[in-house]
Amino acid sequence: METDNILELQHVTKTFGDLVAVDNVDFELQAGEIHAILGENGAGKSTLMNLIYGLHQPSGGSIHISGKPKIFKSPRDAIANGIGMVHQHFMLIENLTVAENIALTVAQFSSRDGKTDSIESDLKSVSQENGIPSKLSTFRYKKNDAIRLTEALSQRFGLAVDPSVLVRTLSVGLKQRVEILKALAVDARILILDEPTAVLSPQEVTDFFTILRALQSDNRSIIFISHKMKEVLEISDRITVLRHGKKVYNGKTGERSARGLAREMLGEELSEVERKQNKATTDLVLNISGLTVLGSRNETAVLDVSIQTYRGEIVGIAGVDGNGQRELAEAIMGLRPSKFGTVEILGMQPSGTKNIRRCGVGYIPEDRRTMGIITSFSIAENLMLNIMHFEHLAKHGIISQKAKNRAAMQLIDTYDIRPPFANIPAAALSGGNQQKIVLAREISPQPELLVAVNPTRGLDINAAQYVHQNLLAQRDRKKSVLLISTELDEVLQMSDRLYVMSRGKLIEATTHRENIETLGLLMMGEAATNA
Amino acid sequence: MPNFPALFRKVKSFSVSIREIILPFFLWMLTPFLILVAAFITNGIIIFLFGYNPIEAYVAATKVTFGSLRGVGETLVKSTPFLMTGLSVAIAFRCGIWNIGAEGQFLIGALAATWFGTKIAVLLPNTPWIAVPLCLSMAVVAGGLWGIIPAVLKVTRGVNEVISTIMLNYVAINFVSLMIDGGPLQETSKTGPQSDPIAEWVFLPRLSEFLPRLFESHRIHIGIGIAVILAIALTFVLFRTTFGFQLRAVGEGAAAAKAAGISIAHNTLRVFFISGALAGLGGAIEIMALVPHRLTENFSPDYGYTAIAVALLAKLHPLVTVATALLFGALAKGSFAMEAEVGISRQVTLMMQAIILLFVIGSSAVKFFRKRAL
Repeated sequence: METDNILELQHVTKTFGDLVAVDNVDFELQAGEIHAILGENGAGKSTLMNLIYGLHQPSGGSIHISGKPKIFKSPRDAIANGIGMVHQHFMLIENLTVAENIALTVAQFSSRDGKTDSIESDLKSVSQENGIPSKLSTFRYKKNDAIRLTEALSQRFGLAVDPSVLVRTLSVGLKQRVEILKALAVDARILILDEPTAVLSPQEVTDFFTILRALQSDNRSIIFISHKMKEVLEISDRITVLRHGKKVYNGKTGERSARGLAREMLGEELSEVERKQNKATTDLVLNISGLTVLGSRNETAVLDVSIQTYRGEIVGIAGVDGNGQRELAEAIMGLRPSKFGTVEILGMQPSGTKNIRRCGVGYIPEDRRTMGIITSFSIAENLMLNIMHFEHLAKHGIISQKAKNRAAMQLIDTYDIRPPFANIPAAALSGGNQQKIVLAREISPQPELLVAVNPTRGLDINAAQYVHQNLLAQRDRKKSVLLISTELDEVLQMSDRLYVMSRGKLIEATTHRENIETLGLLMMGEAATNA
Repeated sequence: MPNFPALFRKVKSFSVSIREIILPFFLWMLTPFLILVAAFITNGIIIFLFGYNPIEAYVAATKVTFGSLRGVGETLVKSTPFLMTGLSVAIAFRCGIWNIGAEGQFLIGALAATWFGTKIAVLLPNTPWIAVPLCLSMAVVAGGLWGIIPAVLKVTRGVNEVISTIMLNYVAINFVSLMIDGGPLQETSKTGPQSDPIAEWVFLPRLSEFLPRLFESHRIHIGIGIAVILAIALTFVLFRTTFGFQLRAVGEGAAAAKAAGISIAHNTLRVFFISGALAGLGGAIEIMALVPHRLTENFSPDYGYTAIAVALLAKLHPLVTVATALLFGALAKGSFAMEAEVGISRQVTLMMQAIILLFVIGSSAVKFFRKRAL
């Protein structure tokens, strides 16, 4: 059968021990198509992509590129066959410039595989006019050549980025661009994008979609993995839904409603989080006044912030990433010194994270992989990674293994952490399940104050809803929650009172959905000048 | 009729324990084992290139180190300083603290024991039950305090401990020289750069004192037992106590540990003290257990540096460190045999140690790059 499928998977299966991660999946990708893959965490999306990218080898079935069966022993083979992947966690060298990062990729592959011919020929026409090198030497790095190559690439694909700045200094959105450029530099015909919008602000998402459309019109194919239904419906041509490793749906975008797709994804009807009306009390829990905090580069990250939270309410702080939210949370937790101002918790001013936690403060950090969990530790050890927990589990400093395992199994059960084994390393878990570990640990002791920073980032609908229910339960227990999130929908839905953080300052806002545009403007720092 | 369900459960739980405990442990130990095989082969090739028969050399070395009770005893004696310093390094590295200062801490411990044994012990004549423990504690405190110096520098001023501990090694070496070469601890006759022997009642008891017939004139001493007990105790501390948990958390994920409320500074200070104390105790045991019972120049043949290979080869596990220390002890002992019987220079042993270290580092580099590739 002659098809114009650039990529085709036939009956692909992948097992890890007893676990069937991908179960007999067929998948087709046409040239110039944006194909979205929907699925919950642990549905097998990432595993499927890793199979295509050569990180894993299928246990059964076959992979065909342009009709020919291929076996990818490593990503190197996949790249040589025109497959590029932009991971959720960027694979960039932070201390090198953009051009150097691009040059590394190009030099690595052009010399050995000779597969960058087409991009070179693409560039050759340009290069003859401007003197752009068609090849980069593996052994000698020529700065100007790399910069010119990067410039040519970014012009050709409309991905504007300054080649000579350090990657470290770039925003998340720009780093993503560099990742895409890296894939394009070795002429990827198939781009796998793993949760590309999770880290972007709404404005950046719009730009990002423009880029995707441009790539599409260049007859490149894109596999787009996302949890966000709205974005998938907006950008994709075709949708495949995975559930428990199996393909449960495949069809043109628009054939099914968002609700129908969600049902396929979850296998059940979606329910909105129920929200009881709540009377805020006047019991002060967190009282911050005049707080100024310096960021990592000694810039003023938080400027003269004052905010109070009371028992029985969720206070939301919306804002685009990098406007001081992280520093604010870290200052509350005693992880970052404050320059001016005070942080009072239940009328006390504890110093040091240990004492702050002893006052009954829970913390869901933004960066779960470095601050939330220790990946080499077991699930059980991660579940007690809180000064309150392991001190509670120990007698005279000796940790009771029985108590530790019992506590772990109980939390694994309650929070449905999968796979449900207390003693496997947390690295073996999916992102969503890692987040569940953090939640279980931080929410189960029912802290007086819970500081949650982007608690649902990277989670699927079900898991996100679960988090939301837990936050609301905290509120209903007359505890206080400070919810800092870049997801506008989330803060609007969850908060009793709402602030917007922009350039280190807090602006009070209303929680009415009608004001969403005003909020957007506040987040972008626009209205701050008018106010 | 036998109770089949219970029997079945037993068999099942046993197979589970094989799959979940024993097998992973063997896999975990596979790398160190392969490292050793590779190192022995590489070294064998070098011996061969020098014109000797490597198999003959290895057989001679094995015979001397493990072929007789006396040989085993000597190997144990030689292993003890490797074990003490190896534990010192293992505990520090576990916490993410790159203490390269075991050498200096070892010497300071030895110095403290010498000072106690030559100057203070005379105030407590013939009281081994007081003098020995007191002397050991003196070395623990001295080594620990020496370890605290880089810890304080790191915690208060952010000084990189790799640099400060290496520098402090030179300070320790020269401080010892100062003390025994013209200093207050030089021998009374003032002839050479060495101390007086310590008082007899500060000597560590030997096994031959308890079982004179079996161990006549053997050098096996209770310091070996102390070291092994410490290895067991440290394993317990690391994996079963809140302190060990905090320590490992800091080592494996400092940011997460900090967010959990664990103080990095406190743990740095504590671990540095323990690490220094272990090395210091190792130094004291050498002085107190072995003839000539005195501090000399070049007292340590780089135990503190070799300890890094000992600890890394053991994957920083205190119990496995016992085995790797034994190996390095055997290497040290076996080198004499290879020289005496086959005529191979003892420098070959040093080469062997270096080759093992290279393979250890190489294996972690392979792992690092394989992780990167994923």
